[in-house]
Amino acid sequence: MTAAKIIVNEIKGYHRFVKFLIVLVSLGALASLARFVFGLGVTTNLNDTFPWGLWISFDVVTAVPLAAGAFTLGAIVHCFHIKKLEPLVRPAIVTGFLGYSLVCVGLLLDLGQPQRCWHTMVYWNPHSPMFEVSMCIAAYTTVLFLEFLSPVCEKFGYHVPLRLLRTIEMPLVVAAASISTLHQSSLGTFFLIAVDKLHSLWYNPLLPLLFWLSAMCAGISIIIVEATMSHKYMGQPDESELLETLAKILPWVITVYLTVKVFSLVALTEGPLFNRPGLLVLFAVEVVCGVLLPLVMLMNGNVRENNRLRATAAWLVIAGVILNRFNVSMFGMEAPGTFYYPSLLESVVTIGIIAAHILFFVLIAKYFPIFEHHPETVDYSIPDHFRKNEQGNAHGAAKA
Amino acid sequence: MSSENKDFGKNKAFLIDMTKCTGCRGCQVACKQWNQLGAEKTEFFTGEGYQNPPLMSEYTFTRIKFRDYEKNGQNEFAFYKEMCMHCNEPACASVCPVGAFKKTKEGPVTYDADRCIGCRFCMVACPFGVPKYEWSKALPLVRKCTGCYSRVKEGLKPACATTCVSAITYGNREDMIKEANKRISARPEKYLKKLYGSEEAGGTSVIYLTALPFDELGFKPVTKRPLPSYTWQALRLVPGIFLTVGSSLSLLSWFNHRKERIAKEEEQRKSGATPKEES
Repeated sequence: MTAAKIIVNEIKGYHRFVKFLIVLVSLGALASLARFVFGLGVTTNLNDTFPWGLWISFDVVTAVPLAAGAFTLGAIVHCFHIKKLEPLVRPAIVTGFLGYSLVCVGLLLDLGQPQRCWHTMVYWNPHSPMFEVSMCIAAYTTVLFLEFLSPVCEKFGYHVPLRLLRTIEMPLVVAAASISTLHQSSLGTFFLIAVDKLHSLWYNPLLPLLFWLSAMCAGISIIIVEATMSHKYMGQPDESELLETLAKILPWVITVYLTVKVFSLVALTEGPLFNRPGLLVLFAVEVVCGVLLPLVMLMNGNVRENNRLRATAAWLVIAGVILNRFNVSMFGMEAPGTFYYPSLLESVVTIGIIAAHILFFVLIAKYFPIFEHHPETVDYSIPDHFRKNEQGNAHGAAKA
Repeated sequence: MSSENKDFGKNKAFLIDMTKCTGCRGCQVACKQWNQLGAEKTEFFTGEGYQNPPLMSEYTFTRIKFRDYEKNGQNEFAFYKEMCMHCNEPACASVCPVGAFKKTKEGPVTYDADRCIGCRFCMVACPFGVPKYEWSKALPLVRKCTGCYSRVKEGLKPACATTCVSAITYGNREDMIKEANKRISARPEKYLKKLYGSEEAGGTSVIYLTALPFDELGFKPVTKRPLPSYTWQALRLVPGIFLTVGSSLSLLSWFNHRKERIAKEEEQRKSGATPKEES
């Protein structure tokens, strides 16, 4: 059999859902091709009134916090040393790496001159939040790539790079957390410049801090949802015990987020809050369904122990963060009487990006050891080519 | 930008006296000629009133907005020349990730098309809605009024100011503000006793005098604080936060790992084995 035939046969063996995802991704790829052939003006509903649309609101501003699981969990497991959660780290890193790679794709589609994206690395403007975010995303995608190399090297049995990756593991985790803190919050700084544009329900000087806190909520929730679903649909190991621990941490983060949100709304907001009924409803839905309800649910031990309810609460948090990002970057920015909705092509591209995320995750989980990873069972030592241990003592071999 | 404390009095600025504007739109034509901007197919009354084209765009850097109103039982026109305000501390220059916008020492805010990556952050940031995008192109750039920098740096006046017979005066910013206040005090019954642009967005290089209240003419209500300061108050903390988070997490993990290592060594000692480093 030729290589092509092997691949075709392999794909034929996939589940129907995976094939469906492949179709969606191909449609998205075609649609993004159309953007370059016909231009942004024709293919999107963007114009001078709405310079940013779905691609920025979802593919960048929302996708980044949704990929925050990797840095949050990395810090929880390695820095705060809650070691038992380690089996969740790898899937989170894969999600993060995919998420950030796709953020880059979305960003490149949205840029007028994607071939010049390297300009941000050359023409520095430290006063620009966009400069800061693009530097951070470039750095963090690299970090995630390095972290993602571990399962790849394990799969192919490259022991020397594995050893190296193991050595830089802690620096990478710390770098990931600090870089993420910067760009998750700086995404909020983006909208601090929109002084008289973003509605005061969301505009306040603490917006960057709120973005960072809600990103952590989203990150933890994504891990819960992902582990629950991959257990249910992909037959991966059941991690409910670990998810329970995560679900215990989550309400604390939500409480801090809620406190800062209420404080900034009450003490730091300058403009009128109640002049736009539509926005008020969006705000209420965001806070009640996306913050208060899951907080109350997760404070209840029965909810945390129940797989379905726990996942429901996590879904609510995710939905709340998504709505928050859309409120800030889209709905809250629209002047009264104007309305933007994405064009068909914009939607197809975004759906394609979401589908690509799920598809690649499923495929990576299929071919690489990301769920089976339990560090206590993995031998990281270099194969003993130098016979150091055999010559020395019996303990050396036992310790490795 | 925001951190430098510069004196903007010697910057070149426009004083636009809207009470003297006749709505001839010579400035629109001159602007298109100097900047080689294409024509737009327009129809009357597609916008809010008599103005044509209905909006500023990639082809139109300036335009006269018409507002009809009644005065002493007679129909009257009031005008507003919309253009780049050339802020003292421009929001576009502060948010641009590649620094494509620059506040020149002469006053105009220029745009470097060779640097621009087309992210449209300037359009989101500008409080006056000035930068426009080449929506018709596959690889679009931003377009905006450059204050005719190519003319100004050679000692000429901008195209619109040269063409205008009555309403536009061009000169040092401090002189323009002085002149504006002089006109207000000379004819207090004629003018609104406020200048638009002296403090808006931290001060701009375009100063307006009007008879009607600003909001009625379509001027945007804008904060008096320079816009870059809003983001800078968060961004200036970035290096500090990076170092704080990085070092505290490093310390924390070092401490936790040390605790674990000590516990492990203790255990080994108890079990009687002599721990020996392997490499």
